[in-house]
Amino acid sequence: MNKNTDDLIAALADNGAQAQGRGVGKFVLPLIGVAALCSIALGLVLDDAFSPYAETGPAPLLVKWGFSVSLAVLAPLTLWLLGRPGRDSGWMLIALAVPFAAVSAMFVVDLAMSEQAFPGKAWQTCLTAMTVLSPLAFAGAVIAVRHLAPTNLRRAGLVAGLFGGGVAMTAYAPFCPGSGMAYMVVFYCLPILSMAAIGFLTGPRLLRW
Amino acid sequence: MNVSQDKTGSLLDHLIAKAREGDRRAYREFLAEAAIVVRKQLARKIGGDGELEDIVQDVLIACHEKHHTLDPGRPVGPWLRAIAGYKLIDHWRKRGRSPIVLDDTADLPVAADDLASVDIAALLGELPEAQAEAIRMTHIEGLTSQEASERVGIGLSAMKLRVHRGMNRLKEIVEESKT
Repeated sequence: MNKNTDDLIAALADNGAQAQGRGVGKFVLPLIGVAALCSIALGLVLDDAFSPYAETGPAPLLVKWGFSVSLAVLAPLTLWLLGRPGRDSGWMLIALAVPFAAVSAMFVVDLAMSEQAFPGKAWQTCLTAMTVLSPLAFAGAVIAVRHLAPTNLRRAGLVAGLFGGGVAMTAYAPFCPGSGMAYMVVFYCLPILSMAAIGFLTGPRLLRW
Repeated sequence: MNVSQDKTGSLLDHLIAKAREGDRRAYREFLAEAAIVVRKQLARKIGGDGELEDIVQDVLIACHEKHHTLDPGRPVGPWLRAIAGYKLIDHWRKRGRSPIVLDDTADLPVAADDLASVDIAALLGELPEAQAEAIRMTHIEGLTSQEASERVGIGLSAMKLRVHRGMNRLKEIVEESKT
């Protein structure tokens, strides 16, 4: 064996490999931190959470949250697997596609039946919130993943982007007066997919270890 | 998986389990065994021995720093191979995926006679500063690639690559001047 490699092994072995936990805390804390930060920031800037649903009832909010919370929960689970070399994460990626498939199906039905005005009011606020909050939550996901050891950086970046968008949408949804699936596709799904695309492109730089 | 791989995998699993209980000797054996496995895995994909050893060392450091990502009870083999594959790709990304061999012997493609009548300072001025600096350190000051890489603060492979590319460019310049 090469002399330098021998020396390296001796130096590493001196530090030992005793288990220091599985690093769940270091992974989860940044994710919870950015989710809390997004919610608090919106609470400080915007008023009257949930008031947009006084007339319509909770159904539109439940549809939005059903989609966004699915992403905000599934994405970290996928990142956890992606950050563990040699683990299969393909089935989790398929699971991440399910919320998008559900929204697409509902969008098709809504197109045929709905007569709601589009884009409606306050879409600029919605788009601004997604644009500001998604990168913030994405940054938290990047910090969390860097603690692990992702070997597919593009895929990890993409999923971190989905987490960013999912958290931003979850935080903003209570303030959002917009309803209808077209609104959801244009002002939520597209920004989330854009964040995922940015994650895909920047993953190799941001997540390299 | 063949029998040999299976045995090696079991040995690695056993050694890392002992190492996690605080057995440093087992950890040392684990790292040495892992180095052998990685070297075998990458040998066909890497040209030079020096370059291969750089990656083996990168993989060992990665295994040490990220050992918490190996879940207790899961086999070491797939985890180790995934890290080795990642470090290989990362290495290619850093140096560009050219088939050149970055051994020390590859650093001197220009015959000394070719340079005898040439103003070296002027020649080096034709190169990008990073390549010129690398050649000055390794072929004029007499530093080894390792020492030069430490002085500049880059990896050994990156330093060898700079020298290699710079020397190739010098050779082209000398040949152009002859014609």
